[in-house]
Amino acid sequence: MNLRRNLFWSLIALTLLALLLAACGGQTETVGEPEPAAEEEAAPAATEAPAAEESDDMDMEPIKIGALAPLSAPGAVVGGEAMRDAMLIAADVLNARGGIMGRPVEVIIVDTEGLPERGTAVVERLINQDGVVGIGGGYHSSVGVAAKEVARDNGVPIVFAETWNDTITSVQYDEIFRIAPLSSEVSAVDVNFIQWLRDENGMKLDKVVILTENTDYGIPAAENTTALLDGAGIASVTFSVDIGTQDFAGIIERVKAESPDMIVTLATGEASYNFTQQAADAGIGPQDVPFMCNQVSLVSDAFWTNVPDGNNCFVRRIGLPQKLYNDVAQELVAEYSARTGKDDIESYAMASYDSIMLIAQAIEDSGSTDPADIIDALENINHMGALGPITFPINRSNTPDQAGVDPKWWHQFPDPAITIVQYQEAGQDAVDTAVVYPNVYQTDPPVIVGQE
Amino acid sequence: MSPTRIYRVAGTITIVLLLLIPLASSELNGLGPLVLSSYFMHLAITAFFYAILASSWSLLAGYAGQFSFGHMAFMAIGGYTSGLIGKFIRFTTAPSELCTDIPLLGNWWLVILNIRRVGTIDESCLDMAKTQTLPAGTLIIFPPVWASIAMGLVMGAVFGLLVGWLVLRLRSTYLALFTIGFSEILRASISAEIPITEGQSGLELVPLFPAGIMGFTSTSKIPPYYAMLLLFLFAMALMTWLAGSRFGLFIRAIREDEEAAAALGVNIVRYKVLVFVITSTLAAAAGALQGHYIGIITPNTVIILQMSLVIAMAVIGGLENIYAASVGAIVITFALELLRTNITIGPLHVDMTLWRLVFFGLLLMLTLRFQRNGLLFPILERISRGRVAQETVSIRVESEELEEVVTEEEVALETEEEETQPASSEENPG
Amino acid sequence: MENAAIFGWALLWILFWGALGGVVTPRVYARKDLEISQASFGGAVIGAALGPFSLLPLWFATPKITSRLIGIAIAIVVGIFIAAFALADPDNLCVANGGFVISQLANGIVIGIIYGLMALGLTLIFSILGVVSFAHGEFYMIGGMVTYFMTAEWIPGVSPIIAILASCVVTFAIGYLFERIFLRPMGSGEIERPTEYAILVTFGLAFFLQYLTQALTSAVPVKAQRFFPFPRTEIPADSGALLKMTPGNVTVFDAISIPNPRFTAALLALMMLAALLWFLYRTWVGKALRAVSQDRQAAAVTGINPNSMNTLAFSMGAMLAGLSGASLVQVFSWLPQVGIPAAARSFVIIVLGGMGSLPGAFLGGLIVGLVEAAGTGCIPDATRAAAYIPAYGMVILTLVLLLKPTGLFGREL
Repeated sequence: MNLRRNLFWSLIALTLLALLLAACGGQTETVGEPEPAAEEEAAPAATEAPAAEESDDMDMEPIKIGALAPLSAPGAVVGGEAMRDAMLIAADVLNARGGIMGRPVEVIIVDTEGLPERGTAVVERLINQDGVVGIGGGYHSSVGVAAKEVARDNGVPIVFAETWNDTITSVQYDEIFRIAPLSSEVSAVDVNFIQWLRDENGMKLDKVVILTENTDYGIPAAENTTALLDGAGIASVTFSVDIGTQDFAGIIERVKAESPDMIVTLATGEASYNFTQQAADAGIGPQDVPFMCNQVSLVSDAFWTNVPDGNNCFVRRIGLPQKLYNDVAQELVAEYSARTGKDDIESYAMASYDSIMLIAQAIEDSGSTDPADIIDALENINHMGALGPITFPINRSNTPDQAGVDPKWWHQFPDPAITIVQYQEAGQDAVDTAVVYPNVYQTDPPVIVGQE
Repeated sequence: MSPTRIYRVAGTITIVLLLLIPLASSELNGLGPLVLSSYFMHLAITAFFYAILASSWSLLAGYAGQFSFGHMAFMAIGGYTSGLIGKFIRFTTAPSELCTDIPLLGNWWLVILNIRRVGTIDESCLDMAKTQTLPAGTLIIFPPVWASIAMGLVMGAVFGLLVGWLVLRLRSTYLALFTIGFSEILRASISAEIPITEGQSGLELVPLFPAGIMGFTSTSKIPPYYAMLLLFLFAMALMTWLAGSRFGLFIRAIREDEEAAAALGVNIVRYKVLVFVITSTLAAAAGALQGHYIGIITPNTVIILQMSLVIAMAVIGGLENIYAASVGAIVITFALELLRTNITIGPLHVDMTLWRLVFFGLLLMLTLRFQRNGLLFPILERISRGRVAQETVSIRVESEELEEVVTEEEVALETEEEETQPASSEENPG
Repeated sequence: MENAAIFGWALLWILFWGALGGVVTPRVYARKDLEISQASFGGAVIGAALGPFSLLPLWFATPKITSRLIGIAIAIVVGIFIAAFALADPDNLCVANGGFVISQLANGIVIGIIYGLMALGLTLIFSILGVVSFAHGEFYMIGGMVTYFMTAEWIPGVSPIIAILASCVVTFAIGYLFERIFLRPMGSGEIERPTEYAILVTFGLAFFLQYLTQALTSAVPVKAQRFFPFPRTEIPADSGALLKMTPGNVTVFDAISIPNPRFTAALLALMMLAALLWFLYRTWVGKALRAVSQDRQAAAVTGINPNSMNTLAFSMGAMLAGLSGASLVQVFSWLPQVGIPAAARSFVIIVLGGMGSLPGAFLGGLIVGLVEAAGTGCIPDATRAAAYIPAYGMVILTLVLLLKPTGLFGREL
């Protein structure tokens, strides 16, 4: 018994020691960073100090920029890790250039876990503990909706990279900027594409089934799509699932019974994989009926592992096709591929990169690290980012009222390019997919299945 | 000094320190060299929140032996009740005509707002009424936060009563399964009924002090700190009193052997339901307060993972002692937060965001297996009196030995009764 | 729903008389000094069945409440429920479309078989050790993970059978180690209040295994390829009206379609079930296990070591969960979190079937499979039907625990 006690205490001591080491290890990383480096909280991705020769003139206090990404469940970890990698590149690029105003840059990446309450806590921490002057990144809409309140309370700007919910900008907070597309605009592209299939490709299209997730991304997106389809004279039925749903057999039978001419998947994450593959197994998959898979399908490795029968999927893609990338994007892709081994960069990773660079330029432009000055600079910014020239035309000097536009355009990057691509060969890489819509970018005509 | 005095002095010092902490916060420009960031204040508030949950769960599970997995569900009931009242109820001096109006005393009306479309910022019926039907000069009053929190408590108590009564017949495993079922149903309903609860995106709540208080703004951390601290101290005082009174004695007797306790004349139904009601109400109060402080509450607070966090806090602290459980909660809240940093040992990179939870799980299992009283309880114990805790010693008996049990229990009860009196005052730092 | 009122009133009627029967009947039986163990539940279902027309005769004649009587009453309640639903919503797919109903039933049965296999593991553990393993879902998850990594990453192209066997070995080993280190002391009286201890410690194991897997594999969903794709066949050859097979699907009579991965998973589950039954009823060790589950002391007297039976039962239970995970990793995308809903479903099943009852677990699996299919298939509001999927099983769980905690085949508490 005594022996066992001792064993136990030594185990505890070991564990505590390990944890203590962890804490201390972390501490030395955070406090008084001697060399410019992107400090990150999760995962070890390379942070080789890129600019050793500059370190002597960069001894000054670093400028800190916060970054939000979901890095553990229930958040979308795959998306979060891609964003983290891109934002670390941004930090390295900035430091390699000699920092901002001669000061090193530190990008502090925090894990939102995809939870709004966690989101508010980490934004709080970034602003008040770490003293960041601006925040980039952001994936889940629910986190964005909650985080914007903390940003407003503290007067620190956030540039959201991937939160689509319209209300984030339509509440018109001075601090909130967005370079992700608006959910309602994305729905409009979907519906235009569906109409285009009907009107110009002679497809029979009377009824669409929408599968969505019951989140504040999924529900408004489905409602927008339904309303727009209605306007185009196309009937639709929406099925809404809990994000954790695995077994879609019952739903798929119901979808089948509706005999839809097209299926649109707005559910994200593994739910979208599960639904698509189970639909394919049941004979109503992408090879049987025109099928819009969710944008997560652009992670092609995961897509083909989880949806082996996903060929002919249409996928909406945010951002230009790779062959139309500008110089900034080309460089970013090269670096990103070198670090991650992926062939292309996800649109949200690219946007996260831009969100950090935007804040950096705003600091340069204003010549100040005061958040209020940065907000002023962001309103007037003209930044050549990987997404293209980024501006925020609807702002305090040109309010939605004055411009006569919907409030959702407030501090909103007006033209993220959106295309529809299609996997036309099984196992195809996302980079090689055919761009089928809109016509200006089209590389191949769409393959339309299931038409008698 | 006698152990009792040590306890009293230590308790008083702790309380005074806790009350003084905000003086060192960055909002008040710190205390000399010590400046606590408002993130520290946030963590402290969260720590008190978990401390209330963990200690009330330890009263329910450790003292009364009712292993409920539904504690977070009651927490959410408190938060959602308060939030829904804030979202749907207004008081006006004239009927709105467009919403559901219920006349109250005088010319006051209680207005229940309509359910709005999801994901929009459509005007509510009251917004429309302002421009259309309401006469000029009509007062529109939000329900006061304290009142909606009080309603949250009431709902917590009502659900606690209901669940406590329903699970009367169920023991250990069955009770655990039932309460898991209860929280899962609650979670699924909150997620699915988006027009009412906002589903996954979370229900927004007004700040604890919407207009600020005593010169602090509504976003200041100091008033919520005191609010949560006071609730925590109140909960601890209440539970200390309960644990030391006949109530505590009886629920422990029921835990050890229900039949024997009944044979001795303990009203089993009353005490089992009562302990459920009290702990659920405390959880609901913590939930409502935390909801208003954070400003948002989501169905994810009810997931089994959150519940396991509270359980782990109580177990690692010391399941059968409310102080140990609450200290465990506070320590673990801070530890989990500090451990979110990566470590690199040579070529080995450890992603602590994930691994800290792995270690945490391991620690939980090892504590249960080798140190049943928790890690902190023995330390508290050693500091105060350096002898083994009597009250946690329990005797496992087979049911066929019922007769001996009764006598044994009688003895046990008597001895415990003698010991409980001094023990209760000894263990009363809060 | 066109005539929602009909359904609402029918439901109210059933609930009212059910509650009345459940409350009053035991009092009536007690007053007449009759057996009341079944009176509450029996009274509730009999009241729900025919309301006053059955309750009054019951109270006056006070017959012995047999399982047969309860069975008939349950059948009537289900009948009334279905009839009211059909009247209320005549256009519902569940009412109007025969092919749809049969497909849903087939799907429910197929998935129910696999649920049943998983729950068998849990009930086996309960019958021998008297504890519910809260880490059951994690064994299920690990079974699937091992199978995926075997077939796709470690030894690409390996036969799925070998991968499944490997997952059995891994889950069995983890179960064995855990039982030896953490559960063995329960038997020796070293641990106070062992039931509660077991709940918490298996809960800790679940927490640990889930995060360990996540830390080791990252959170990208994975999925194994179909183990055994169907050959392309059509009978008769030209139309496929009788039977049509594609690699991913089989359609019978042009109406019932079952996806291949589910079909093979259910077949695997049935084979495992046969093997398990053979083991339990035909081998010495199996008989010893059953003996321990019936009477520990007596079994110990005959020379069976109850401790090693505990270890065996726990490891085998873990292995059964691992097996069902291994056979389902070709059906669902796999993540470290997949075990949570699966475990919750197993709890529902064993409670429904009666804790510790093997046939109960299997039948419970089928019932839960069917109820989930009916829930997703028949609830008219398309946006709600699926959102409530996690709750269907839990509703069964709470109802069974309240009305008849012993379940279908359970021993008396």
